[in-house]
Amino acid sequence: MITLTPLKFSRKLPLLLPLFGAIVLCLSVVPHVAFAAEGDVENGEAVYLKRCVGCHGIDGDGLGPGYDRLVPPPRDFTSGMFKIMSTAFDGYVPQDQDIYEMIRLGMPGTAMPGWADVLSEQDMWDLVAYLKMFPGYDEETPGPVVDYGEQVAISAESIEIGKTLFLEDDRCSECHGDEGKGDAIKRLLGDNGERTWPRNLTKPWTFLHSNDPKDVFTRISVGIPGTQMPSFADPASKLQLSIEERWHVANYVNSLAKTVEVVSAENTVVKSHRLDGEIADDPEDAAWQEATPTTFFLVPQLIAKTRHFTPSNDTITARSLYNDDEIAVLLKWDDRTLSLPGDEDAEKIADSSIYEDQVAIQLPVNPTKGAAKPYFVLGDKERPVSLWRWRSGTTTEPQSASVEIATGPQTPVEPSNQTVQANGRYESGTWTVLFRQKLNADHDSALTFAEGEFIPMAFAVWDGSNSETETKHTLTTWYWMLPESSSTALPFIGAILALLIVIGLEMLWLRAGARKREAEA
Amino acid sequence: MQKIPKFIQALLIVFGIYFGFILVFDVILDHLIPNSLLNMYMFFIVAGVLAVYTFTEEGTRELLAPIKSLVEDPSKVGTRKIVFVVVPILVAGYVFMQLLPSVEAPLELRSIHPAPPSTVKIYGKRYDLRTLTNPYRELEHEDPEEFSDMVEAGADVYVRNCHFCHGDKLDGQGPYAAGLNPVPLNFQDVGTIAQLQESFLFWRIATGGPGLPDEAAPWISSMPVWEEFLTEEEIWQVILYLYDYTGHEPRSFEE
Repeated sequence: MITLTPLKFSRKLPLLLPLFGAIVLCLSVVPHVAFAAEGDVENGEAVYLKRCVGCHGIDGDGLGPGYDRLVPPPRDFTSGMFKIMSTAFDGYVPQDQDIYEMIRLGMPGTAMPGWADVLSEQDMWDLVAYLKMFPGYDEETPGPVVDYGEQVAISAESIEIGKTLFLEDDRCSECHGDEGKGDAIKRLLGDNGERTWPRNLTKPWTFLHSNDPKDVFTRISVGIPGTQMPSFADPASKLQLSIEERWHVANYVNSLAKTVEVVSAENTVVKSHRLDGEIADDPEDAAWQEATPTTFFLVPQLIAKTRHFTPSNDTITARSLYNDDEIAVLLKWDDRTLSLPGDEDAEKIADSSIYEDQVAIQLPVNPTKGAAKPYFVLGDKERPVSLWRWRSGTTTEPQSASVEIATGPQTPVEPSNQTVQANGRYESGTWTVLFRQKLNADHDSALTFAEGEFIPMAFAVWDGSNSETETKHTLTTWYWMLPESSSTALPFIGAILALLIVIGLEMLWLRAGARKREAEA
Repeated sequence: MQKIPKFIQALLIVFGIYFGFILVFDVILDHLIPNSLLNMYMFFIVAGVLAVYTFTEEGTRELLAPIKSLVEDPSKVGTRKIVFVVVPILVAGYVFMQLLPSVEAPLELRSIHPAPPSTVKIYGKRYDLRTLTNPYRELEHEDPEEFSDMVEAGADVYVRNCHFCHGDKLDGQGPYAAGLNPVPLNFQDVGTIAQLQESFLFWRIATGGPGLPDEAAPWISSMPVWEEFLTEEEIWQVILYLYDYTGHEPRSFEE
């Protein structure tokens, strides 16, 4: 998740520079340590038994006690296949270095952590040696590494060519979607028959290795063993790409990374901008384009019964606008599937049962006093929450929106006397839903959005094609919404006053000094 | 060696401490120090420095000498003009920034290890947390084989339930940790389970976030109420595992 934590440079910069210099200096004098050629299998086993069995199992078959609660499931070492491999087509034995790197860095977007902070280099090489002892690993020496040819530098031109190749004959877009968001039109399976989803290429933090063009080039050239991602270096494939073409596609994939709607530790407040006029329905409208996006992590609902272990989405982005009459919240999240119960195509892609897609905004029913808030999972008896909920509809029912009152995760929700309007649009793997609520409406318990006052806000999302319904969904913790104050002259008046006061004091001081000199003279 | 003027000394101390705080918290610990807290610390530090340097009249004079000479010394007209223009602009800028409406999220303070109640009702039974001990702890000496089976059973409980947030390495960095606030506890850290008795862990696990007292902000804790998912035996086993994996020792009542 390193990619997600923006460095807070503003205050740190003056301190970081000398530190960084010192680190570079240290690194340059430490000689590179040569790789251990042969790992110690016995020590590898000891490390494996302490650190790895929980997921990968004592027999290395990926059936450790936690296996059925992990998505993707833990690697089955007895299959002999490793997803991140740099051995050229059509080799199937990974390089030792590949296995080592997976242990060292972990696999982002999965439960596999990087072990470099806990294990020594030697321990990790010993683990590599031990993993190779499992039946299924082929003892043959690995074939040659992928031929990288001459790397094509990232450029607008290369990215454009890459995009054409990506879309040509539906080469990549067949699974990854026209915009790379993995909006599947195919049901994909892993080597153990488990459900897999194509990578959303706009979310580089979920890449099993990284979205560095060289890594992407390797994946395109080798494929991802154990999945349906094929090798595009395969001469038998109609979709084969030359080395240079693969660099263009890699550069294009790298360019797909989201830059705007990403989580930022410094931005946890949904700022609602004030408008004088109407709030537009169209998310492309200038006012919406200018509204600050705030993106939050979604986590699966692992807290209350019944728990959800297999989420398909990890972020949601909110924007907000308000005027004298109403407040509007625009939510956007990537969803690989348009879940339309009753629709044949949608049902084919979905898990066994299909439900509507849904999204909900959670707010306290009553203004919060002091630090106390409602319980973040659907409130509690003392402090209920309102849910503004939108449902995507079925083939026979249109989209719908409602306000509900919840008093805890285990209590059924009740309808509220409030109303909310919501409209959703699904396009290229992204849902955009716009909520509107009248301000100061004649409700018994109308929530008051007051200028300049923070109000707790949380979100929940259901992907109906991923068996998400009722308590099985993803959610955020409490964050904040802030209806921004309309601009006032106060800061300017304050600044001018301060300026005059300081200048006045300076004048007095100067005169006192001058008088003193006169007296001395 | 030439003596550094007192005025410069005072400035060096104040700014040194200021950047020291930022270095330690923001850079080394990677844990942004809240502005309000930093301002409060700096207020006391400036007050302290002034108190020390103005303890004697001579000291006061020495401290203020550069400022006095700036106003009174005719040879410093150039510097004076610059300072007298820059200072009001800085003050006005500061006031302007302070008066802009804040969009920084309100600060939420909470107690991480709140005082436990003396007794607590779990599984329909009342437990006295002041005397409650892990029933399997004694196996460590009496029957090491049985003990290691218990630890292994705890490992299974952990990987099926806890690692999503607390992490495979028990470092509080599970795959979903980044989406939670407050962040999951890091058991490797010497400031968490190493400081606690097993009965405290039992209470925290069994009653989860909603079982916290108000000063610990139960409404934002993501810790499930494990009483609803795990048996009493499983909770004691997972506690054994937490200590075994991290190598920490639980605190005992005698200490």
